[in-house]
Amino acid sequence: MRSNTEAPGTPRDWLQFGLGAVVVAGMCFPALWMIYSSFKTNREIFRTPYALPGTWHWENLTKAWNEGGLGVLYVNSILVTAASVILCAGFATLAAYAFARLEFPGRRVLYRIFLIGLLLPPPAVAIALFTQLRDMGLLNTLWALIFANAAWSLSITLYLMSGYFRTLKREMEEAARLEGADTFRVFWYVILPMVKPAIITTAILNTINIWNELMFALLFISDDASRTLPAGIVRFSGFHSTNYALVFAALTITTVPIMILYFVSQRHVIRGLTAARAD
Amino acid sequence: MAIAAQNNGLGGGRPGEGAGIANLLFVIPALTLYALFVLWPLASSLYYSLTDWDGIGAPRWVGLANFTRAFADDIHLASYVHVTLYILGTLVFEVSFGLVMAVMLNSDRPGFALLRGLFFSPVVLSMSAAGVLWNFVFDYRTGLVNAMLKGIGLGDWAQPWLSQPATALICVMLVSGWKFAGLYMILFFAALRRIPRSLYEAATLEGAGPIRRFFSITLPLLKQNVLICGLLAVTGGFAGFDLFFTMTNGQPYNSTEVPVTWIVKMAFDSDQLGYGIALTVILTVVVSLISLLYLRFAERSHAVEY
Amino acid sequence: MASWTRMRNLAAGVIAAAVLASTFGQRAGAEPVEIRITHSITGGTQKEALDGIIADFEKANPDIKVKQVVFDDDQYSDTGLITQLKSATPPDIYFQWAGFPMQRDAKEGFAKDISAEMDADGWKDSFLPSVWSPSMGMLYEGHPYLVPMTLDVTNVIWFNKKIFAEDGVKAPATWDEFMAAVKTLAEKGETPIVIGNQELWPLGNWASHIASRVVEPAHYDAAFKLQEPFSQPGFEKALTLIDDLRKAGAFNKDIAGLGADPAMSTFFQEAAAMHPIGSWLVPSANEMAEKDFDYGAFNTPLIDPANPTKDSVIGTATGFAVHAKSAHPKEAIAFLKFFTRLDSQVKWAEAGSFSPVKGAMEQAKLDDKTKQMADMLSHAGSLVPPPDTTYPVAVAESYYQAAAYVAGGEKSPHDALVWLDEHVKAMK
Repeated sequence: MRSNTEAPGTPRDWLQFGLGAVVVAGMCFPALWMIYSSFKTNREIFRTPYALPGTWHWENLTKAWNEGGLGVLYVNSILVTAASVILCAGFATLAAYAFARLEFPGRRVLYRIFLIGLLLPPPAVAIALFTQLRDMGLLNTLWALIFANAAWSLSITLYLMSGYFRTLKREMEEAARLEGADTFRVFWYVILPMVKPAIITTAILNTINIWNELMFALLFISDDASRTLPAGIVRFSGFHSTNYALVFAALTITTVPIMILYFVSQRHVIRGLTAARAD
Repeated sequence: MAIAAQNNGLGGGRPGEGAGIANLLFVIPALTLYALFVLWPLASSLYYSLTDWDGIGAPRWVGLANFTRAFADDIHLASYVHVTLYILGTLVFEVSFGLVMAVMLNSDRPGFALLRGLFFSPVVLSMSAAGVLWNFVFDYRTGLVNAMLKGIGLGDWAQPWLSQPATALICVMLVSGWKFAGLYMILFFAALRRIPRSLYEAATLEGAGPIRRFFSITLPLLKQNVLICGLLAVTGGFAGFDLFFTMTNGQPYNSTEVPVTWIVKMAFDSDQLGYGIALTVILTVVVSLISLLYLRFAERSHAVEY
Repeated sequence: MASWTRMRNLAAGVIAAAVLASTFGQRAGAEPVEIRITHSITGGTQKEALDGIIADFEKANPDIKVKQVVFDDDQYSDTGLITQLKSATPPDIYFQWAGFPMQRDAKEGFAKDISAEMDADGWKDSFLPSVWSPSMGMLYEGHPYLVPMTLDVTNVIWFNKKIFAEDGVKAPATWDEFMAAVKTLAEKGETPIVIGNQELWPLGNWASHIASRVVEPAHYDAAFKLQEPFSQPGFEKALTLIDDLRKAGAFNKDIAGLGADPAMSTFFQEAAAMHPIGSWLVPSANEMAEKDFDYGAFNTPLIDPANPTKDSVIGTATGFAVHAKSAHPKEAIAFLKFFTRLDSQVKWAEAGSFSPVKGAMEQAKLDDKTKQMADMLSHAGSLVPPPDTTYPVAVAESYYQAAAYVAGGEKSPHDALVWLDEHVKAMK
């Protein structure tokens, strides 16, 4: 807040940067420790906890990959995340368009009902949802997670999308209407291209949330074949709880990709979050 | 802000665009999904909460017995005390720490963007990975913290961090702060960017130091954001499960038992789904009530406009 | 060795005969029937043995295919089994614990009454007679619903032979000797006992066994059925024994927060002298401990010579139930009969399971540890089941919690029992 207008390189700037860097380094250390420890032997981790590996044991990664069945977990996580994000984005965009631009019976009431979901914590229904999914025969299938995650992401997505619709000018739509396009055509050819940035932003936010989702995954999936990463990693680490090297290798394999995704799409993530909560 | 939307969230359709039932078609897919997996379980919870049900046999109507039991269940009641402490902890370790870091990292100079990015990065990690990682940090026998203490000759200070009531909950709060301070930092950072620079310049000319400027300019102008972040911390805290589940699962001696871990234990470990569902109903009511009260409070002390 | 080879040849012969018979008996072009069996044996030697027995069965019965649906332990009992029992296509055979869980399944109509099958061909008599005693919980209203599969000792005290020898400690026979051993070990700077009690049952199981040795059986039963308060001299004495252990510095400092698996690993890494846990330690030790790790076991030492269950072993039986809605009950029974045949059971025993079939343990070639467990079980004056398979789980868990309080020094035995009575009041 203060340094923007001051000359660069003043001692105060350095102090500010230095302090910030120390705190950030402290925050990052456990994660870094985890990553480089995953290349050590277990004995090395106990004996010299902080040192870098003497030799880099890349085979830890393959061992963790095989023993943890991480391949299956990865595929399941990707399927669940992709399907729920797409489902949610599609449904929410359609609905947001209707709420923002169209008139229909029950519009206000329905919008409010959707907003209830913003304040509800998922555990509020977890058990009832469990019994319901069981009766529907969906437990232990990826569908259970896809539907539950998509439905529980709807409220926030819809809210963000309607906010974005409000910022759009109506000229293009009106022009299209004058040329005789019906509502669906307007939506498809005019609206969709315009709201693409908002779709991408919400999709990235939902991706992070759903990729990391644990409770539904623990409760609805008991079969190894359809388990997702967060639940799988908890099981794996319990089973190999004193083999630090192996658990760290598994953690590294599962967390590094999402970190890369984050650093690549950092701007979208931050824009989405600030739009979601702080405005 | 989520709440503002409840009042003015609708842009308003235009009559000329057709007020037909056909337009409802746009909402039907989302509504179906939402009704099936959010609203219906919410409604059926109300029914199941009035039954004695082990998940296997047929639910048996017991009236309010589950609720009577819930209010006599000392661990259940204590779980609300723990979650309250936890939320207070998150207000310090997540919201306040995030705010301080937002101010500290608020600069356009090279390097600061990287620091912000790194500071935020734990937010995108899964809770389960974070919990597992920190279990290794806090382990009594082989953990990083105790190894560090021994390394600097303070071996006597080594503690079973996650196994004694005095420290377990604080450890969970710290990890929670580690995980989420970045989120609040980013939220505050975005708001800080909107504060006109001229205000600070004027204050500096009048001789106000950085701490004075923080309390007399930054904090008042961020009041609205602080309130919203507080709401996030409160509602998020009540729903807290992942970190507790992976780190302590309610132990030692139920001192880190929070409503959701207790609900899951009652429902699944002890095969009492009816009772577990009754506990979820209580949780829903509590969270809704607190949100509403909080919102009223936030509205009354409405933020300074700028 | 000789007997083992002979058994195998015999088995091969039987299988060859069966293959021939079934080849001739098979109808041309018939689709094989698939039966599904669900259990929680995820790996290790037991899984290998089961896979082998299934393969043999499929060879002998080409018209039947056996498909396994496997869950890990916690999930199986938490959500896995409920999910399956109620599904539209339930498994034909499922794994279940004797006692409360099995009786619930029988009552709710999930498990099939197999009285007729058991009575035919003397199947029932092929099992150890003690399996059918009422306290084992294999019967519901006098009828069998479970085909016995394994007997498990759920708690003995494993000890590190090297540490015991170094510190001059011997496996104790009485509680006083046990306390003396703990004190010696603590003085020598060892962690005498490691328990990972985050989930409460690891200590809870042992604490129940101790209580069953101290409290009169009738009172013990009545308390867990909530007909009597837990605050009574017997239970207080039982918890005082645990309190004495704590005061002597018996337990690891992180007992309350440590997981069960890390505790076992701690024992394997020789960071503790003793580890009370069930017989499943043996297969884990084979997999996780160093080759030179030498360990033994003793039962909870004699506490009260006057107690009728003074020399009991705490253990439980597990078995396979046939789902009442199975589409192929005949094939399911055929498989279970094959599984409980002596030759299959010898393999089963050699994989580290305690077979409930007559003669299997005698014929099987067993490692020392398993043999010791087998001896302990067969010489036990009585078998006490753990409360979480005999009484409502919530009550059992509450008792486990009270024991945890005492072991951690959080509450005195008296206060823990007062808390317990207060806590279970709402469950009546």
